Amino acid sequence: MSVTVPRGTLLVEAAKLVKVEVPVFCYHHKLDPVGACRLCLVEISPGPPKPTTACTTPAAEGMVVKTDTPLAVGARADILEYELVNHPLDCPVCDKGGECPLQDYTFRHGYPTSRIDAPRLHFKKPIPLSEKIALDRERCVLCYRCTRYYDEITWSQELTTDERGVHSYITSQFDQPLKSVFSGNIIDLCPVGALTSRVWRFESRPWDMDHVPSVCSRCAVGCNVTLWKRRHQLVRVTSHENDEIDEGWICDRGRFEYTHVNSPDRLKVPLVAGAEATWEAALTALLEGVQGRKLGIFLPQDITNEELFLLRRLVDGPWQDARVALERRTLLAPPQGETLPIKDLDGCKAIVVIACDTADDVPIVNLRVKKAVSKLGAKLLVVHPGHLDLDRWPDTFHVRPNPGETAEAVRRLIGHELLQEGPVGILYGDGHGAEDVDALTQAVVDLAEAVGGRVMPLYRATNERGALGVRLAGRQEDLEGCDAVILWGPGRPPASARFVAAWDSVPRPEHEGADVVLPSATFAETQGSYTNLEGRVQFLRPVLPVTPPLREGWDVLCELGQRLGMPDMDYLGIFHVQRQASRAVELFAPLADPPAPVPNPTPVLYGPARP
Amino acid sequence: MAALSEHAIEEIRALPPRFPHIRSAVLPALDVAQDELGYLTREAMTEVAELLDLDPGYVEGVATFYTLLHLEPIGKHHFYVCTNLSCDLRGAYEICDHIKRRIGVEGFGEVSADGLFSLEEVECLGACEFAPMMRYQRRYHYDLTPEKVDALIEAARQNGGDRAADSPRDAAAASQKPPGRRASSRGPTKEDSAELNA
Ligand code: SF4
Ligand code: SF4
Ligand code: FES
Ligand code: FES
Repeated sequence: MSVTVPRGTLLVEAAKLVKVEVPVFCYHHKLDPVGACRLCLVEISPGPPKPTTACTTPAAEGMVVKTDTPLAVGARADILEYELVNHPLDCPVCDKGGECPLQDYTFRHGYPTSRIDAPRLHFKKPIPLSEKIALDRERCVLCYRCTRYYDEITWSQELTTDERGVHSYITSQFDQPLKSVFSGNIIDLCPVGALTSRVWRFESRPWDMDHVPSVCSRCAVGCNVTLWKRRHQLVRVTSHENDEIDEGWICDRGRFEYTHVNSPDRLKVPLVAGAEATWEAALTALLEGVQGRKLGIFLPQDITNEELFLLRRLVDGPWQDARVALERRTLLAPPQGETLPIKDLDGCKAIVVIACDTADDVPIVNLRVKKAVSKLGAKLLVVHPGHLDLDRWPDTFHVRPNPGETAEAVRRLIGHELLQEGPVGILYGDGHGAEDVDALTQAVVDLAEAVGGRVMPLYRATNERGALGVRLAGRQEDLEGCDAVILWGPGRPPASARFVAAWDSVPRPEHEGADVVLPSATFAETQGSYTNLEGRVQFLRPVLPVTPPLREGWDVLCELGQRLGMPDMDYLGIFHVQRQASRAVELFAPLADPPAPVPNPTPVLYGPARP
Repeated sequence: MAALSEHAIEEIRALPPRFPHIRSAVLPALDVAQDELGYLTREAMTEVAELLDLDPGYVEGVATFYTLLHLEPIGKHHFYVCTNLSCDLRGAYEICDHIKRRIGVEGFGEVSADGLFSLEEVECLGACEFAPMMRYQRRYHYDLTPEKVDALIEAARQNGGDRAADSPRDAAAASQKPPGRRASSRGPTKEDSAELNA
């Protein structure tokens, strides 16, 4: 087999193109190569008469690479023998078992017994690295993927290697719990069972789970995730690499905030005045309750595009004058004109981050900025009153305006020497209410014009962009003064409310004493789509069934519309809602073309398909 | 409260411009800290990290990597006795046993009751031709005999354990030839050894 690749392509990557597997531990396509584990040994000619690491050697004209000669295979088997010296062989109780490259490679290459009878290293196991992550040092093969990820990708060193040589071990700094919001990715990265999730501990095996690719529901970035289920339970969430958005990383919110889906407290049946009721009775009570009153509706941040569209119709029709508020929304207006897509941060020569703590509000965009700066050489300018993790970069140019004076500070950047060379990416948030957002936006637009840059408004709520697309949840709206409220998600009833309907998946203290309670479906069950901060529409794929009496939000909204006598509310299914929405709302045009419900299976995390 | 003195902090602050990467300054910075405190406390490592705008984790990783950086208290006078092959063959362990007896400790890493002494075995220090040898107060001491060791211990006791008195770091750097290999390619000679031991 022969293959032609761009100059500088590493042998491991070239081999992938012709579907030849080169086993790796330390190599990862998103991390700089180090050549630490020596598992990728191959024989090359012309070249030295000894095995060479495929992960650090670039392909060259006329190079012949052999992966299956006795020399190469034997070398790998020897390396594996060393990797296993301290390994406790506890695969039967290891959560990695079944998707573990160490297991697979050993099965294929390994010697049946070890010739090494040196004393083994023993460690206490497992050690909690944080509330969510456990570390088993005896299983670690010291590939340093985890610490390199921390250092290279997140710019932090709270995960580190202590000691040296055979005595090296991975540890958190001074054994303190990890604090980063990006910590969970090391679970996916670890090629063995050394780093495992404490949330998904001894829950199931990879082979007895079903999984679908879906979209994260926790913020406006819209990272792609894989949802894993076993016996009607959502048991874990992992990344589903999408290079246009997340590059295979997700934040800890996306990874670990799913346990409410399986909560024993899940609301399943509607309640009227605290007693179980049918949907029929509950919706009647709701409609009676809001009838003739000043209505306020609180929306959860992860409301779908379809639900937003239907709600828009209700608010255009019978629920005119209803006020609508959205969880976690920023004060930013809809963008004017083209915005900068996340993936184009990679090509920026300079990046300006304004009035937003990206690590907190849009975590994975933060990682993309860091990559553009530390790996691709972009200049970084920050305008923010506080100390941010972006300051870790020694050359960050940080302007610290007083709160409220950010717009001024942005204008002063016009003509700055770091912005001479484009393309320039300008990311801006709303300063969490401290800024006059219109003035700030205007300053950002002016700056963009002056330096020939493109802007990226950093919305916070998952589907804020979708809500803005249907003109719901305007900036000033809060529910104060409404005397009937529908609280969908974690909203608090205003003091003025005389009728409260709560619509949520689990009971919440702030919903205490609601007149009507409706159970809601979660991101793991509902069909629909989100629009991320770039304006990209992405479809959810339900991994769990909607078991009656649970109903999806769009379905309930349709019934409310019908009961209120609206025409054309009897959609036959969500596809009809999507088709209509795609025609009615410009932003939702992609809804006309939903992807096939059963996608290609997610590639396995490691091993042949995704080394 | 700060773990390091004003002076040490100033010294560390002056380091980064001398290196292409700020991380290269970690090692000299830790050296400054250890010189001041005798060993590296968590607080000291954290402070070094803050001064260099790194996470303490990185500093911890470096500090645990090197044998010459101590994470536990050591005596004011610390013997690094080489017990690698050449030195072992020439009686390094007898020297170790002798030192232990003299300073009154049972094992490596233990600090003598008066806090003055401790000893540690280290791998080859690159001066095999003068085995057995050790590093003591930033200098190499060659062709060790119990008598030579006794003289050093006695001298240390005499001056009351003032480390600076018999080998201040700056003075060592300024006035001593570097230990180990010399600028000429022939390596240390008996003369050097005598001079350094003087
Ligand atoms: S814990 Fe896992 S990722 Fe980290 S070095 Fe060990 S094997 Fe590699
Ligand atoms: S950055 Fe946002 S979308 Fe991505 S994983 Fe985190 S919460 Fe989910
Ligand atoms: S040395 Fe090549 S994958 Fe580790
Ligand atoms: S063996 Fe002791 S200095 Fe080399």
